[in-house]
Amino acid sequence: MAADAGSPQPLAADVPLLYQRRVRRWIIQVIYLAITALVILYVVQALGEREYGFGFLSQPAGFDVGNQWLVDFDGTTSSRLTLFFVGVWSTIRVVLVVIALSTVLGVVMGVARLSPNWLLSKTAMLFVELFRNTPLYVQVVIWYAVGLFGLPTIENVVNVGNFLFLSNRGVAIPWPHEQGGLWGGVDWLVGVWVAVLLAGAAIALWVRARRQEQERDTGQVKYPNRVAVGIFAAIAFVSFFALGMPVYVDRPIVDGTNYVEGMAIRPEFAALTLGLTIYTGAFIAEIVRASIQALPRGQSEAANAIGLTGYQRLTLVILPQALRQMIPSVTNQYLNANKNSSIALGVSYFDLFFVANIISNKIGHAVEIFFMIIVTYTVLSLAISLVMNIVNSRVTSQDRDDGGDGVGLRERLMEALRSRTPMGEMQ
Amino acid sequence: MTNEGPPDDRLQPMTAPAGGPARRVVLPPHRQRAARPFRERAADWLRSNLFASWDRTLSTIVSFAILGGVIAFVIWFVISYADWNVITDNRRLLFIGSFPHGEEWRLWAGLSFVLAMVGAAYGMWSRLGPRDALFIVLGSAFAFFMILHDTSQAWAALWFGIGVVLLAAGYFICRLVPREEGRARRVATRTLTAVLALSVPVVFALLMAGPGGADTDQLSGYLLNLLLAPAGIVGGLIVGIPLALGRASSLKAISWTCTTYIEVVRGAPLIGWLFVALFILSDLIGGDLIVRTMVVLAVFTGAYMAEYIRGGLQALPRGQYEAGHAVGLPYWRTMQLIIMPQALRISIPPIVGQAIALWKDTALISIILPLRELVGSSRSAIAQGEFITARIEVYVFAAVMFWIVAFVMSRVSQRIEGSLGVGER
Repeated sequence: MAADAGSPQPLAADVPLLYQRRVRRWIIQVIYLAITALVILYVVQALGEREYGFGFLSQPAGFDVGNQWLVDFDGTTSSRLTLFFVGVWSTIRVVLVVIALSTVLGVVMGVARLSPNWLLSKTAMLFVELFRNTPLYVQVVIWYAVGLFGLPTIENVVNVGNFLFLSNRGVAIPWPHEQGGLWGGVDWLVGVWVAVLLAGAAIALWVRARRQEQERDTGQVKYPNRVAVGIFAAIAFVSFFALGMPVYVDRPIVDGTNYVEGMAIRPEFAALTLGLTIYTGAFIAEIVRASIQALPRGQSEAANAIGLTGYQRLTLVILPQALRQMIPSVTNQYLNANKNSSIALGVSYFDLFFVANIISNKIGHAVEIFFMIIVTYTVLSLAISLVMNIVNSRVTSQDRDDGGDGVGLRERLMEALRSRTPMGEMQ
Repeated sequence: MTNEGPPDDRLQPMTAPAGGPARRVVLPPHRQRAARPFRERAADWLRSNLFASWDRTLSTIVSFAILGGVIAFVIWFVISYADWNVITDNRRLLFIGSFPHGEEWRLWAGLSFVLAMVGAAYGMWSRLGPRDALFIVLGSAFAFFMILHDTSQAWAALWFGIGVVLLAAGYFICRLVPREEGRARRVATRTLTAVLALSVPVVFALLMAGPGGADTDQLSGYLLNLLLAPAGIVGGLIVGIPLALGRASSLKAISWTCTTYIEVVRGAPLIGWLFVALFILSDLIGGDLIVRTMVVLAVFTGAYMAEYIRGGLQALPRGQYEAGHAVGLPYWRTMQLIIMPQALRISIPPIVGQAIALWKDTALISIILPLRELVGSSRSAIAQGEFITARIEVYVFAAVMFWIVAFVMSRVSQRIEGSLGVGER
């Protein structure tokens, strides 16, 4: 359009209509849209012989689920829509666990990959190359086979100090359960305690921020992290007993051929989560490595020069800067993990795709069900992107608050020196 | 203190032997290292790489324990625990599935053709060092002899010989092409690229054409993975390039529809699209399940390829477009001569990454489709009552087979990245 505006008007009038840029653009778009419309028409016509409608969702599911979460479900009376939501929640549960664990695994492996220790770095490299280049599905199937056929039967369960049980029925771990408390039978006490904990966390964070500010202004050591942790622990401890111990941690028990009490992690869930965590972790490790390597060498040299220890160098200088590089790629990996969780079908874990497939096998309606699949995955992806965008803007704006990259870094270094290294020990 | 380099004494000049004049002799670094006894050098290496400080010593011990444990476990699994009969007995099922008996020459011919292509690609764009050559020859020997062990070994040997000759021929013919840019090289590169793109249908024709050729439902096992992945990659590029141009187009109607397409396809997992191939696409394009699967792979990969190519398009300075405009080239010629060659070059690394992802994704096919690629064949092998306990072995074997190809591809991509980087500077 810029060219049109620049060219003198008489010239445009001389040009035949068909050769004018604007006319041509319109013609091309109209032709293109006509072709697209034809294609869509063909698709509609070809799929038109099916019966459509979402009525099937309200009929009873007629399918029982072993392991549901956050949804009241009963195989005979609940609707197919409820069944679908059982699947959606199962997917969300897997994805949340995988995101948390794979981030930790990926950061550890990515840092280890760059370790000056030859053996450690090669171990991390082996991990990455092995798990990144093998299909996720095959990995999950192997973990599943190990879980079902490599572990003993529940009669010969492996008991690790009454805390952890391993058998081909899955893994059982201790898990907090609510109890009425010493004051008897009040079941909303757990809710109160969780609310108190959240409030305690907020107070601790506020104190930490204040102390950090004071440190920056006065140069005195204020131990913001230690004080914050202390405040939080004190609040949690006191309120726990004040409310009459509303929660107790329950150890698992083997009863016949089942786990009771505690928390039983079924082999399907364990295999899927383990496989996805390792696979995603291997990719995140590569991202972490690349972002750290992208930092100028001077950063770690500067950290060494002012006498930071290896751990301080990593947590105060390297990782905060690498984080900014990392977040977009890591977000991508989270989105992949979300979509990859659909291989649950291969190990019969009850995720949304598995549920959709069951419904479709039973009654057809493939087009509607596929539409539901796309919409659900898209909504989940958007939710992940949204959260990560907020994280990203927080991480990047933190440096901007300090007035540009260099200053922000120096500020942070000075703060680190003041808070962590007593002056006497500095060389 | 934790980030020290190697101890400094290694960099110091050597002192003369005792008894001589105390004169320092400065040697070039490589002679210095050779002059020192192995024991000393080994001790230095250990100290600087493994035991430089107490925390590094600790991490050495921990990683040694982990690594040692894992290696011991793998050795125990491979030698003592596993029953590999399930692999040797089902070799044919796992590798070529139900490919018709007596038509194995088609596989060998296809393999020889692929070897010729590999040789030509090396000759044109790289240099076939002894290590690569050895790897290729050993790998193809494995393919020629092991996979079809139960048929005539003499024929396998003959075809293997032909394959190696074609590899060498492809390599040396393409070495004749001048290295420096010019008309001759441009023509040769284009011809080879076209032949490479056509080699997918050629291999399909070799396997399926004429009397006795395999039917589509006879393509299974590892062979099916090896056929579907390249088809999906080539198809993905064919879909992806116009999509990328469309998304970057200034015509609103085109860019919006292309964007919608890309985002919708990327919104659902591949398994979801395979679901479409099974239940929905049959009404749209009909055809064979394998054909529908290939269409889905191309459509799916195309959306991702389009995003990577668009990245390449955006990385180009605007001046490149304006220059094309200024010399009076129409849109398509600008794209063909100026924009696409540069954009594709930038986006080659992520495109290869996507190719690796697609290769791994072919393992998903048999979750939902009644096609028996390697994982599906593994399931069939286990389903024979005899090997019901050997499930872990079969899947580990499948994992290794997938890993080998993916690892080779990732190395190729690193090499391409390296050579592109050199070209740019």
